[in-house]
Amino acid sequence: MNAGARRRLRLVCRDGAAGAAFASMASSGQLPLWAVGAFFAGLVLALLDRRVLAARAGLTTGFLLFSAVGLGFLVVSGAFDAVVAAGAFAGLVAVQRMLSQLSPAADGQVHLTSLLMIAGGAALSGDIWFAGWLVLFAGLGCFSLGLGVLEQAAPEGAELPLKPLVRQLSLGAALALAGAAVFFIAFPRMSWNLASRRGGASLFGAVSGIADAVRMDGPGTIKRNPRVVARVQLDPDPGTDALDAYWVARTFDTFDGQQWVGSGAPANPPLMQVHLGRYQRPLVHQQIELLPAYGARSLVGLDSPVLLANATLHAPSGSARVSLEEVPGQEVRFTEPGASYTYHAYSPTPQVVRRTQDPPDPSTDLTLPESLDPRVPALARQVAGDARDPAEAARRLQQYLRANYQYTLDLNQAGDPLADFLFERRAGHCEHFATAMAVMLRSLGYPARVAGGFYGGERVGAQYVLRAADAHAWSQVLVPGRGFVSVDATPEDGRGGQPPALFAFLTEQLERLEELWRRSVVDYSMLDQVELARALVSPPRSEGAASPGWVPDAKALAASAAVALGVYALLRRRRAAARAPRPPRAVTEASRFLDAIERRLRSARIRYRDGEQLEELAVRLSAGRHPFGAALNRAARRYLEARFGGRPLDPAERAVLLAALDRAVQ
Amino acid sequence: MTASPAGLWRRFRRWWRPPRTLKTTRVGRTYLVLTLGVGFGALNTGNNLLYLLLGLLLSLIVLSGVLSERALRDLRVRRLGADGAHAGEPFPFRWAVSRSRGTAFALALSEDSHELTGQGMVAYLEPGAELVVRGDLTAARRGPHRLTGVRVTTTFPFGLFAKTRVFDLEGLLLVYPRRGYACEDPAAAEGGPAGDAGDPRKGDGSGDLLGLRELKPLEDARRIHWKKSAAAGKLLRVEREREERRTYLLRLDDRLPPELLDRHCEELATVSRRLLLDGHEVGLQSGATRLRPGAGPGQLRRILRALAWAGYRTDRHDEEAAA
Repeated sequence: MNAGARRRLRLVCRDGAAGAAFASMASSGQLPLWAVGAFFAGLVLALLDRRVLAARAGLTTGFLLFSAVGLGFLVVSGAFDAVVAAGAFAGLVAVQRMLSQLSPAADGQVHLTSLLMIAGGAALSGDIWFAGWLVLFAGLGCFSLGLGVLEQAAPEGAELPLKPLVRQLSLGAALALAGAAVFFIAFPRMSWNLASRRGGASLFGAVSGIADAVRMDGPGTIKRNPRVVARVQLDPDPGTDALDAYWVARTFDTFDGQQWVGSGAPANPPLMQVHLGRYQRPLVHQQIELLPAYGARSLVGLDSPVLLANATLHAPSGSARVSLEEVPGQEVRFTEPGASYTYHAYSPTPQVVRRTQDPPDPSTDLTLPESLDPRVPALARQVAGDARDPAEAARRLQQYLRANYQYTLDLNQAGDPLADFLFERRAGHCEHFATAMAVMLRSLGYPARVAGGFYGGERVGAQYVLRAADAHAWSQVLVPGRGFVSVDATPEDGRGGQPPALFAFLTEQLERLEELWRRSVVDYSMLDQVELARALVSPPRSEGAASPGWVPDAKALAASAAVALGVYALLRRRRAAARAPRPPRAVTEASRFLDAIERRLRSARIRYRDGEQLEELAVRLSAGRHPFGAALNRAARRYLEARFGGRPLDPAERAVLLAALDRAVQ
Repeated sequence: MTASPAGLWRRFRRWWRPPRTLKTTRVGRTYLVLTLGVGFGALNTGNNLLYLLLGLLLSLIVLSGVLSERALRDLRVRRLGADGAHAGEPFPFRWAVSRSRGTAFALALSEDSHELTGQGMVAYLEPGAELVVRGDLTAARRGPHRLTGVRVTTTFPFGLFAKTRVFDLEGLLLVYPRRGYACEDPAAAEGGPAGDAGDPRKGDGSGDLLGLRELKPLEDARRIHWKKSAAAGKLLRVEREREERRTYLLRLDDRLPPELLDRHCEELATVSRRLLLDGHEVGLQSGATRLRPGAGPGQLRRILRALAWAGYRTDRHDEEAAA
C-alpha cells in the first residue's frame, strides 16, 4: 500500500473512531441537536477529506472559546447537565481538529477528545448500543494509532504491505476487548453501583399510547410496535414464558360518543406510597421499571394493584425518589416528569376474590352520551336477555361481541364510531370492543368504564417485558361487593401485540441481548463478584448429592483432559509450523515467476508434451521458430538461474521478461 | 587478567540493566492521565460502563507491551559502521537487522551511547530477510567512541510507549575532527620534490601549454614535440604549466589541554585537507608519531585518523578495530 492510501486509511480510521465515540453519547438522546448536527456534518466533511478549517484556525479557536463560555454559563444556570455540556464541547473540539491542518498534534488531539467522548458516552448511556460504539471505537482507534506509528517510521513515499499490520492490529484489538471484559469482571468494586445512570431520554420518543384520552377513531398502529416499554420482575415468579395478565395504567369514566376521558382530580396530597383499598394476602410483588419508551406518568400494575410504593425517577441529571398522587378511581401517577421510573406494586393473586367497598357515587359510570344511537341499548337488552346481575350481563355481552365481531386494525373515519362498529363494519380494535361493552352495560343500568394498559408479558431472562404492541383497552363493570371487575370483549387473537414476524424476531433478539447487557454489565455489582468468586471456589451442588470425595467428578476430569489435549495440540501445531522449513525467498519468487510463465503458455494454448520440462519446451519452440520461442527461452533460462543458480530475480527484470512473453502472445 | 575500573563499571551496568526499558511518549502521558481520570470516575460513581472503558484502556496498555515485545523479539542486529564520521555533523551509519520469524514494525536503531545522537528507522521488517538500515548520527566530539550496544526501540503498536532493547555489541567508532576553517596558514614548506619534477618553476606539469624549448640532456624524451622538432631540425620539448607541489609537515602538540588540542586538531585537519586538495604532500608529526608526507585522499584519511586519536590512549588492537 502506498503512502497516500495509507494516510487516507489512517485518517478514515481516526475520524471513524471519533464518530463512534460521539455516537455513543448521541445515542443516549441527551445531546442537543445542534451539537449532533454540527458533529456529523463535520465528520462527513472529514471523511471526504475536506479540511475546510485548515486556513481558519484562529477563527475556529475563537468560536470554540465562545462555545466553552456559553456552555459553561448554561451549566451554571442549570439549563444543561455538566456531562452533556462537556460531551457537546468535546464533539466541537474534535470536529475543529478533524477539519484542521493535518499534523501529528492534531491527530493526538482527535484521539484524546475521542477518548473523552467515549467516557462521556459511558456516563450518559446505559444502552447496549454503547457496547457497539465501544467496539467500533476500539477497533478503529487501534488501526489509526497503528498506522500512525508505521507512517512515522516509513521513509517518504515508501510502499509497505498492509496485511501483516492489519493481522497484528486486528488480533490486538480483539485481545484488548477480551482484556477489557476480564478486567471488568475481576476489578474489585468499591461501591454498590448506586450512581450509575439509567438510560436517558429515548432517541425515538415515547410510543406506549397511554394517553389522557382514548379516541375511538385512533389508528391501531401501536399494536405493531415491538418496542419494550416496561420490565417487570414478579415474586412469586410464575415461571411461564408468556403471561395472560392485564396491566392496568388508568381508567376512563366519561364517554362523549367519540372518546373516553377521566373526570377525576387528585384527592390527596402526594404520598410516597398509595393504598388502593383493602387487600388480602397472598399478593404478587412486582418490581417495575417503566422505560423512556413508555412516555406517560401513570403507574402500571397487575390488574388491580392494591399498593404502589418506593418510586424512583431517573433523569439525565440522575436518580431521585419521587412522590405519587392518586386520582381516585382512575390512576396513580408520578408527580414529576422523568425519562424512566422504577417502583414496586402489589396486586392480589388471581385466586383471591377481592372484597372492596362500592364507590359512593357511581353515577358517572352510568352516564351515556347524548348522541347515543338508540339501536345500542336495544342490542344490549336483546343480548343480555334476562340476566339479573352485572357479572352475568357482562359475560353474555362478552360472548356476543367475541362471536359476532372481527378484530381489525384497518379503520376509517366514521361520524358515530360506536354505531359504525356495532351495526355497519362489525369489526374494530380493542377500544371499539371495550367501548361497546361499557356503553351497553351502562345502557342496562350497570356502572361500567374503560381501562387502559397492557395485556400479556413476555419472559426475557428472569424478567417479563411489556411492549408497546401490548397496549390494550378493556372494560370494567361494577360488581357489588367486589368493586370494578375487568371484562374483556376483544377476541383473543386481538389482545396481544401484532408486530411483523421478522421485526418481532429481531426486536426479541435485541431485547435478549439488552437484558443480558443490563444484567451482566450495567447492573454488575460487588454482590455479583462475590457470587462469581463463590461459584468458582465451590460450584453449586444440587440437594441430596453425595458429599465430595477424594475422587474428582468424571465430567470435570473429562473437561480438563479435553482442554489439556486441545492446548497440547495447539502447541504442537505451532511448534511444527515454526520448525517447518520455509523455502528461501529467491525460490518462492522463482516459483511465482514460473506460475506467471505457465499462465501465459496456457493462454497461448501451448502445452507440454509428456515428461517435457520448461527448458525442453523452450528449445522445441525455438527450433520450430515459434513466435514464443525466443522470449520463452530467455525466461526459462532466467527462471532456472533464479530457482537453482542462486541468482535472485529482480522484480523489474521479471516484468521485462513477462512483458516479452505478453508481446509474443499478442 | 585484571579488568580496569571503567571496564568493571561497564560490566556492572550491563548486568544491572533491565532487559527492556520503557518510556512513555507525549501522547502516552496524556493517555495515562486520562486513564487515571476514567478510573477515578469509575471508582467514584460506580458506573459500570466507566469500569468497562477503564478495562479497555488498561488492556490497551498491556497489549501495547505485548505487541512491542513481539516486535523486538527474535531480532538480530549487526553493526556495519560508517565510512567517515566528522564531529559535529551528521554522518551516515549503517546497521543490518533481521529477524528469524514474525514481522516487526516501526523499529528505530541507535547506538547505546550518549555521545552519539540520531537513529535509523525501519518501518517493516519481514521474517528471514536482512535489511540494511541507514541512520544519520552525530558525534559531539572527535576521537574514538567505544560502542557497547545497539538500541532498538519501537513505539509499535499505538505510539503510547517507546520500548527499547539493547543488543550488546562491542565496537569502536573513530570520529574525525570537526570540519571548519583554519585561522593560520601552514608553515613554510619543507621543500620541493627532487629530480625532474623538483623545480616548481620548471614547466614540466600537465597543464596549459607554456612554450617549446630545446631538449636538454637527460630530460624526458616523452616530452619531445616531434612535428616541431622535425620542422626546426632539432629536438624541441613541450613545456606545460605545472601546479606547484610542495611538501608540508604539520606539527601537532598533543600535550595541550583537551579543548586547545581539539581546536588544534580541527585546524590541522582543515589545513591538511586544503593542502592535499591543492595537490601538495602533507605529513604529520605528533609527539613520537610521525606520518610520512604523502598526497591524495588516502593520505587525508591517514592524517584525520591520526588527528582523531590525538590525546587518547591508543593501542594497536583498537586502531585495527576502528579501521
